[in-house]
Amino acid sequence: MTGAIVDLSKEAAPDSVTTEILVIGSGSGGATAARILAEAGREVVVLEEGRDLAWKERTQRDSQMYDQLYMDRGGRTSHDLSISVLQGRVLGGGGVVNTCDVVPIPDAVLDHWATKYGLEDFAPDRFKSFEKGALEDLSASRIPEELVNVANNKLRRGAEGLGLRGEVMMHNRVGCQGLGTCLIGCPVHAKRNPRMVAIPKAVAAGARIFTRARAVKISAAKQDLKEVTVHTLDPEGYRKQGKLIVRAKIVIVAANAIASAQLLLRSGIGNEHVGQNLILQPQLSIIGIFDERIAAFDGIPQAYAITEFEQDDNADYGLWGYRIEAIMGTPGIVSTMLPFTGVPGMQGMAKYDRMAASLLLVPDRPSGQVEVARDGRLTIRYDQRPDHRQRLREAVENAAKVYLEAGAREVLVPTTPAVFIRAASEAKKKAQEISFAPATAPMISAHQQGTVRFAASERDGGANLDGQVYGTKDVYVFDSSGYPTTASSHTMTPIISSSRMLTAKLLTRI
Amino acid sequence: MAASPTDDVQRDGLFSFLSRRRFLKVSLVAGGAVLGVGGGGLLALRGSAPKVQGLRVLDAHEYRTLQSLVEVMLPKTDVIPIDSGSMDLPRAFDDFLANEPEHNVKDLQKALVLIEFGPLVFDKKITTFSRLEVDERTEHWNGWSVSDNLLRRQVSVAMRKFFNLVYFDREEVWSYIGYPGPSMQRKGRKTP
Repeated sequence: MTGAIVDLSKEAAPDSVTTEILVIGSGSGGATAARILAEAGREVVVLEEGRDLAWKERTQRDSQMYDQLYMDRGGRTSHDLSISVLQGRVLGGGGVVNTCDVVPIPDAVLDHWATKYGLEDFAPDRFKSFEKGALEDLSASRIPEELVNVANNKLRRGAEGLGLRGEVMMHNRVGCQGLGTCLIGCPVHAKRNPRMVAIPKAVAAGARIFTRARAVKISAAKQDLKEVTVHTLDPEGYRKQGKLIVRAKIVIVAANAIASAQLLLRSGIGNEHVGQNLILQPQLSIIGIFDERIAAFDGIPQAYAITEFEQDDNADYGLWGYRIEAIMGTPGIVSTMLPFTGVPGMQGMAKYDRMAASLLLVPDRPSGQVEVARDGRLTIRYDQRPDHRQRLREAVENAAKVYLEAGAREVLVPTTPAVFIRAASEAKKKAQEISFAPATAPMISAHQQGTVRFAASERDGGANLDGQVYGTKDVYVFDSSGYPTTASSHTMTPIISSSRMLTAKLLTRI
Repeated sequence: MAASPTDDVQRDGLFSFLSRRRFLKVSLVAGGAVLGVGGGGLLALRGSAPKVQGLRVLDAHEYRTLQSLVEVMLPKTDVIPIDSGSMDLPRAFDDFLANEPEHNVKDLQKALVLIEFGPLVFDKKITTFSRLEVDERTEHWNGWSVSDNLLRRQVSVAMRKFFNLVYFDREEVWSYIGYPGPSMQRKGRKTP
């Protein structure tokens, strides 16, 4: 077989394609599965709604890149506009637009899944070999000291001053030039992500990858040969251009916890658990404003994390507490996080080069839903729970103290109305007064999970321990949809690890 | 109006928060004044808007509402002395909408109606958003982001996200915020 990446917005799609295995989604879960299956000699076709954005097209400009690299042109949100739901829409998926954080599933969480949810294959002694393979795929290493920029060092200095535990993070960059635009694509291919590792290997082993190809329906899910309706899109991905039918014996859905559930729901596949138990892991930014120039837009945006407040052995939900991680973006996206317009908005952005920002990553319980209306409209229904709000307030308080310890003149909590904290003594009171009412805090979700939960019985989840969707024959989910609780503070490494495990199991059966 | 993608709508984008039911509900609850003025009165109140050439989705009234909005959201100030009117951001919005699904376009158009008649609906003033003086308009618009009404907050968030993103992505703004521009160019790097 000859592998290839075929852009269906530019090349005429055939009316139909028949293959042994169809993988829907080219991110961490899909690309990993496609590579392993192709290398095992299996016939593999991959569908990706996004396109393969060439290096020279990665312009480092907000308007263009959010439009082309993210689902809904960067505008996807939860139902009440409280949370921006960031989801890659590009060949290689989320790994192309993330900040390269390599954070495996903690052993305590793996234990929790094995004992509480019966996910035996996730028990640490069984799972670790797959995680090792994932770390090799990612060329995982500790970020070198010389690449920890001023903004990250401000966070570290504050943490150390207060005696808080933290660490320079692991990442999957090789040859990083500190260009600073990880969130809108690396123009020098320093990321060892699925686009750079699994996809080339899958193609070399014969996989055919169709880009600008949106899977819209899976039919005959209980039959030997499934039929997947695919819409081909125009070059920008805005409009349907044509139609293609892909027939496959095995269908692996790995399109992210939102899109995978959405596709199953649109197809009328699966039981009542499909679309439930959505985890969004909402994050809020907080900004230390300094007197001196920080230039946080230069260098790795996310290199240091305060782990002091993270707990991985919560009896009900495994990962709990929160962590504080440095972050920065280009001016356009940063400005959307600020709560101001008018003169205060201009004054706020005039401090852009003196900002050192962090994300407050607060794990949540599985509580949201993915819904698809009759007309096909997607709703991501998610209400922030009181316990999440309370941990977020605690995170605000502690992050503010850290930045003040590091010498910040003031700390901005970008809620509406804005909260400025100028002394550690007022941090608790001001944090506790934040309501987090809907559409008053610019929260983001980058790690969606849980909508087709793995479970030993169909009473308890949407897919079995092999990832096979209940009520189907050989329709699988191989992404974070299966996780019963939050896997980790970052999901790329968990997804590659679990996809490796599930793919290995699949290979033993076919 | 330009053709919009309607074939297999599955997007839940920035402007898809307004269902018809919710819009009507808000209008009815808050809109006693609207009913009092009546449909013909509303048209008279809105008045005519100057023609604008080359719009793909928006009409002249919607364009004017957005112009009035941008004027208060992104004003010329001491810190960033740029007249955002010269950037024609409403047209950027029009271009954006031209590639959005039809239901998102309709939602946005509802939001623009709500903004234009906001002073009447929410402040019980017999005028429209575009007719307010800049200071009054600024004060009125600031009230949207802190309103008890979720829909008003949502409209405020959506508008802020779009216009801030586009405005601060513009090169002429960067020197005022200390951003030296994309690092590839600045550091003399070349794509592999």
